[in-house]
Amino acid sequence: MTATIAQSNLPRVNAFRLVRKPSTATLTGLGLALPAVCFLVVFLMLPAVRLIESGFLTQDARGVLKGPVTLSNYLHFFDTSLYSHVLVVTLRISLMTAGLAAVLGYPVALVMVRSHPVITRVVTFITIAPLIVSVVVRSYGWQLILGNGPAGLLNWLLLSAGVIQTPLRLLYSETAVVIGSLHVFLPMMVLPLASALGKIEPHLEEAARTLGMPAWRVFHRITLPLSLPGLAVGFTLVFSLTAGSFVTPAMLGGTNAQMLGNLIDQQITAIYDWPFGATIATVLVAIVIGVNLISMRLLDGRRREAP
Amino acid sequence: MNPRLSGGSAWLLYPLTAVTMIFVLAPLFVIVAMSISENPFAAFPPRGFTLAWYGRVLADADFRASLGFSALLAACATTGALLFGLPASFALARGEIVGRDALRLILLSPLIFPVLVIGVALLRLFSDWNSNSAPLNLLIGHILVTTPYVVRTVTASLLLADVSLEEAARTLGAGRWRVLRRVTLPQIAPGVAAGALFAFMVSFDNYPISMWLADAQNVPMPMLIYRQVASIFTPAVPATSTLMILFAFAVVLLMERLAGLRRAMAM
Repeated sequence: MTATIAQSNLPRVNAFRLVRKPSTATLTGLGLALPAVCFLVVFLMLPAVRLIESGFLTQDARGVLKGPVTLSNYLHFFDTSLYSHVLVVTLRISLMTAGLAAVLGYPVALVMVRSHPVITRVVTFITIAPLIVSVVVRSYGWQLILGNGPAGLLNWLLLSAGVIQTPLRLLYSETAVVIGSLHVFLPMMVLPLASALGKIEPHLEEAARTLGMPAWRVFHRITLPLSLPGLAVGFTLVFSLTAGSFVTPAMLGGTNAQMLGNLIDQQITAIYDWPFGATIATVLVAIVIGVNLISMRLLDGRRREAP
Repeated sequence: MNPRLSGGSAWLLYPLTAVTMIFVLAPLFVIVAMSISENPFAAFPPRGFTLAWYGRVLADADFRASLGFSALLAACATTGALLFGLPASFALARGEIVGRDALRLILLSPLIFPVLVIGVALLRLFSDWNSNSAPLNLLIGHILVTTPYVVRTVTASLLLADVSLEEAARTLGAGRWRVLRRVTLPQIAPGVAAGALFAFMVSFDNYPISMWLADAQNVPMPMLIYRQVASIFTPAVPATSTLMILFAFAVVLLMERLAGLRRAMAM
């Protein structure tokens, strides 16, 4: 989903050279990529630059952006506890989700690469299929399960079993957002993990087992370290996607667990404060790009260390 | 061939995976169960059995309009993504170019930006340009978010295709165009088709771009459901959602048949 995963999956293939003359080949290559690159420059790069730029401007009563360049929007964001709290909540939800996804993802990824082909197919299907279902529909499913009244599935089950006497308040909380995000982005952890685990030389683990290492130590000393690149990619993906989400916190968090995405929406569609909305968007982009850069550095470092 | 799980690790990992699979399927099952309940409120336990909600949904003018619009938008966006993405993938996988890494980064950049932020940036751009056609604006936004998926799948398929076949064809005197049409494309076709289906669903399911660019006349499916969930006067939400789930699962089965799911997603 991001550059990190692209790098891990698409090795360089300079060996595959079809055309002999480098000069014409270079031109053909550039020509083929040109339409896509132009499209991305016009509709992604330039608008993104403009958006970031407007975070450093102010807006007059008619909504026209004007200078001088100022940091006041950023100061306002970090100084107002209402807003900086949303930043903290966003980071906390994203970290929790990515961490839990790693915990849930390892067993699934191991089963995916080391089982009977039929089990592998079923697990792969169940893991990926919900990804193709709209986030709106999936969050709605969690609303039904976590519903606060006695008619929510979980409350109904616990009440009927006599475990609780009054319904729990599960929906519209950070926990609900973490559960929903985990459900939405789990495949983004499982797939990179499975691909890293699939590349581990089976003889290494066999040798360790033959030499008497218990299974948990084999996992700790061999499987885990060798699958770290997959874990890094998965963690980055789940963290960035959760940090940038809108639907899940809006449907499961309500006003109790607002994230940066909800704040951007509020500033732009309800308050029409473009500069401030742009400021929050820039903070979000900075977080996501920062996490991706760190992860890329880690992966590159490992690649260089390898013989 | 990877070693199979056995002994203690199997006893631990299979049950854990089973629990996670139940977690993954639970919200979908719950929606399906609610869609056939006679109770007009989505409340547990479901009562009775009825397909009446489906009849209501399928007869609903808003549902039909949204479904048609979303399908058309996704089809056009996928076509656009293929037009931009196919040649770019050839450049990435086969072209002898400088700055391949930079090119890859540019082509996949829409995946790094939070989708929501892409939507805001486009809204700003279109309002500066006075571009008021919601369908056109949505199409541009959706091409933007689907193109990287096509690039990723097609590039992966190209890297898996056997280059020696292409070289053999060239040695035997086939022109470059003929090699492409008769040797390369047949090899990558299943991967491309599966990737295109995935791109179609990415557009069909998209909310965070559409929420900025849609207007009252053009409401994509996810936005319709989002609005219906927020309003208590639409008891047919579980039925509408179930139809979305069934459609998605049908597409996933097709993707699996065509190229295998992990190849279709290039992950």
